Amino acid sequence: MKSIETDVVIIGGGVTGAGTFRDCLIRGIPAVLVEKNDLASGTTGRNHGLLHSGARYAVKDSASAVECIGENRILKKIARHCIEDTGGLFVALDDDDPAYSDKLIVSCRSAGIACREITRQEALQIEPNLNPQIVRAFTVPDATIDPFRLVSANVLDARERGGQVYTHTRVCRIMTGPEGVTGVQCQNRLTGEIFEIRARVVANASGVWGEKVCRATGIEMKMFPSKGSLIIFDYRVNRVVVNACRMPADADIFVPGDTVSLIGTTSRKIAYEDIDTAEVEEEEIAVLLEGAERLVPNVSKTRLLRAYCGVRPLISLEKGTVDGRAISRGIVLVDHEDRDGLKGLISVAGGKLMTYRLMAEKTTDLICHKLDRTDPCTTNSLPLPGSETKGRVPARRNQFKGISASVIGSTQYRHGERVHQILKSDRKNDGLICECEMVTAGEVEYALQHLNVEDIVDLRRRTRLGMGPCQGTLCACRATSFFIDLKKISGEKANQMLVDFIEERWKGIKPILWGDALRETEFSYWIHQGLISTKKKSETPDEV
Amino acid sequence: MRFDSIIIGGGIAGLTCAIRCAEEGLSCAVISSGMSALHFASGSIDLLGRFPGDSVVTDPFERIPEFINLNPDHPYSRCGEKAIADSLHYFADQLQQQSLQLCDNGRRNHFHLTTYGTLTPTYLSQKSVYSPDLEKAFFENQKIALISFEGFRDFHVPLISANLPGQTLFQNRQVTTGTVDLSPLIRSLKNPHEFRSIDISRMLETDEDLQKIADSINELAGDAGIIGLPACLGFIHHNHVYEKLQGLVGRPVYEIPTLPPSILGMRLDHALKTRFSNLGGVFIAGDKVVRGEMQSERMIGVYTENHGKTLLKAGSVVLATGSFFSGGLISNSAGIREPVFNLDLAYEKDRKQWAGGLFFQPESHQFLEFGVKTNERLNPFDHSGHPIDNLYCAGAILAGYNPIREGSGGGVAISTGYYAAEKIISRTASTGAATP
Repeated sequence: MKSIETDVVIIGGGVTGAGTFRDCLIRGIPAVLVEKNDLASGTTGRNHGLLHSGARYAVKDSASAVECIGENRILKKIARHCIEDTGGLFVALDDDDPAYSDKLIVSCRSAGIACREITRQEALQIEPNLNPQIVRAFTVPDATIDPFRLVSANVLDARERGGQVYTHTRVCRIMTGPEGVTGVQCQNRLTGEIFEIRARVVANASGVWGEKVCRATGIEMKMFPSKGSLIIFDYRVNRVVVNACRMPADADIFVPGDTVSLIGTTSRKIAYEDIDTAEVEEEEIAVLLEGAERLVPNVSKTRLLRAYCGVRPLISLEKGTVDGRAISRGIVLVDHEDRDGLKGLISVAGGKLMTYRLMAEKTTDLICHKLDRTDPCTTNSLPLPGSETKGRVPARRNQFKGISASVIGSTQYRHGERVHQILKSDRKNDGLICECEMVTAGEVEYALQHLNVEDIVDLRRRTRLGMGPCQGTLCACRATSFFIDLKKISGEKANQMLVDFIEERWKGIKPILWGDALRETEFSYWIHQGLISTKKKSETPDEV
Repeated sequence: MRFDSIIIGGGIAGLTCAIRCAEEGLSCAVISSGMSALHFASGSIDLLGRFPGDSVVTDPFERIPEFINLNPDHPYSRCGEKAIADSLHYFADQLQQQSLQLCDNGRRNHFHLTTYGTLTPTYLSQKSVYSPDLEKAFFENQKIALISFEGFRDFHVPLISANLPGQTLFQNRQVTTGTVDLSPLIRSLKNPHEFRSIDISRMLETDEDLQKIADSINELAGDAGIIGLPACLGFIHHNHVYEKLQGLVGRPVYEIPTLPPSILGMRLDHALKTRFSNLGGVFIAGDKVVRGEMQSERMIGVYTENHGKTLLKAGSVVLATGSFFSGGLISNSAGIREPVFNLDLAYEKDRKQWAGGLFFQPESHQFLEFGVKTNERLNPFDHSGHPIDNLYCAGAILAGYNPIREGSGGGVAISTGYYAAEKIISRTASTGAATP
């Protein structure tokens, strides 16, 4: 059996695991990241993509608000290419509690969040699609962040510093010895290969799946999974983040993101055994559309692109807890040596996308402590790969001679300064593969070679290929050929990969299958079943 | 303006109907709001590819009587076996008049290769895709070449050849692959890596380029006895390109469909429209019928967006507007409607049943079967349940069939378009053509 030696194994390729992975490597600690699916395929990639200012939490939870605004400022510096600094609004309607608006101003001030009341006219100027019935409006420093890009950049940095990544690899068991944890045994889910990674510290950063990881060592760590659903509209209907000015509730945040807009979320308790199969319910769709209509009237008449849900990893530390009373909503870092007497295992959970860097810092501090190291954390100032310099205009512009400005813009938007490694002035490189999202052949090749891409679903998370109006109907077929060329996969595997990709897209379309989504689905079905016969195999009789 | 028949929808069903009517001397207009779905189709005509239970049909006319018995509300059951057979002959004859030759395999299905390197059953194909001669050449030659064009995104040779070994027909065959570099021939700033099938078709229609491309193909194909190429061997001048290319490479060549735009489908579209206009038909493009005008339970004409308050009068009207994709049916979260005449529809009210859990599930999806209810004569019903006896429906707007699961899309479009035309013709004959 293959065996790999390292100091730290991190389980979970969400934003917390990726951040911890990077922090370890920056501090010079050898580490390996293991993820059972793809990077950012769990809770990390299933939220609003909102870079909170903290205002959303200010009234209810001032500690969270202070944490948020601090991280908001740091991320705007270190993760520039993952962030669009849109700004945000809180808007109150007639039936919202007026006292909440007054509390918002006061609470934001005490948390250090710049919150300013503006007139109704000013708000409508900033956001013309806003409900004209609003009675009060406030500006806050909200922004948007792309979680896929953020995770990918963290992992890329760690890899360039010598870290190793195994995606589509599940942890079969956590190995222990008399001295405590000695590493993990893993299986590559694509090849079936079983191997072990020997390490002194195992960091469980698998979010809501952390309960299962702990259970594998006989440790109880209870999760209270809460499902949050969202709907994506096929147009960018708002310019800035729009929040309902009332106590946090369902469907109160409307976020623009790249070429689309999202309304979310709901909050529904689900059973732990349902965390991998949770689906968006009909009832949630109605709630979300109603909430969206309240903020942006008539929005439900525009095309709905898809609906999806994520599972929040709320955690309880008290052993034997059965209800949710002891649930912590902040960052939870557990040293299982202290709590359960198992040396070398730590768990990190709770928290939010916003505070991932802080979670990673705290986790890496504990890892350092375990390894008797004192290296300081520098992630609060060290930019992610792609975000090194300010501004959007690429240096060395003549490198891109002959490439259209929109292609340069889209590539840089997604990869920051790495655009220089992606675009080349050769016509093969800049041919568009996904027209909806302007993904070039060069970007597909770069992702396949440098960003841990194993299939088209992974490729979508790295590049946005297939995220546009056609939902991958044409570009996924084109992308398949790159896997055959570069990864030398078989025809059978290529078919399966394409089918898996389309089925993954289908999950999001099914809950909103009417109007233009149904129209597009019929087209897509014709193309895949009628024209190219993706799924049909050996229909020929033996003799013709 | 008055016509003997107005056909709403310029797709394969509408044009088949219109051509038949025009040929009979009826004054006829087709009102088409956009692009025909043929631009996205394989360009072959499926008749009956699969039987319930998912078995592949080799002999469709053997199975159609049984199929009709099993599916009394299917559009094929409305037309009957004879009209189905007649309509396909008629369709092929009409295209032949426009020098577009369709081939069948006797009365049996044949198989054509898809963009993905899989094989699918169909009934009629263009002679460059399937012909008995091509089939013979295919079986006589152990060595096959598959050639594409450098950077052509919508047809990928390695993908097709990766899938070929899984097909019985291709086992133990030697496949040579290659790509032709078009860039030395391009006289504009266009990026050959962003060429679509139509761009390549236009290049091949230039004799000078064709010669050079043929030289490259010849070299790449080595000693292969037959050459497969993406279906972009000319659009308007396809016969010339096809014959000349075969001459230049000195061996049989066949076309394989590409991702859209489908040149094979566009050839059908072009030939049908030309045939209709040669017969004196009026094709009104870019206009949309908004509603019909009824008088004593008969449709006396239609209003369109562009003609405003002017009623386009008609002796008979045919609705061939397609299903959801083409805008013949419109859905929202509350239900489905037919937007022109608000006709009575057959569809499942519970939206959860519209589609299945998996996109590629074997039993297909219910929404594909939704559509307008009709009587035996393809007359739809108004909302009080009365059939409108001079209004007919044809093609994908009809309820009660699943074009994908059955492999019947082209066959239903042609046979119902033809059948509606026959009804209109006999009706006009009995009432007397009213056109001055």
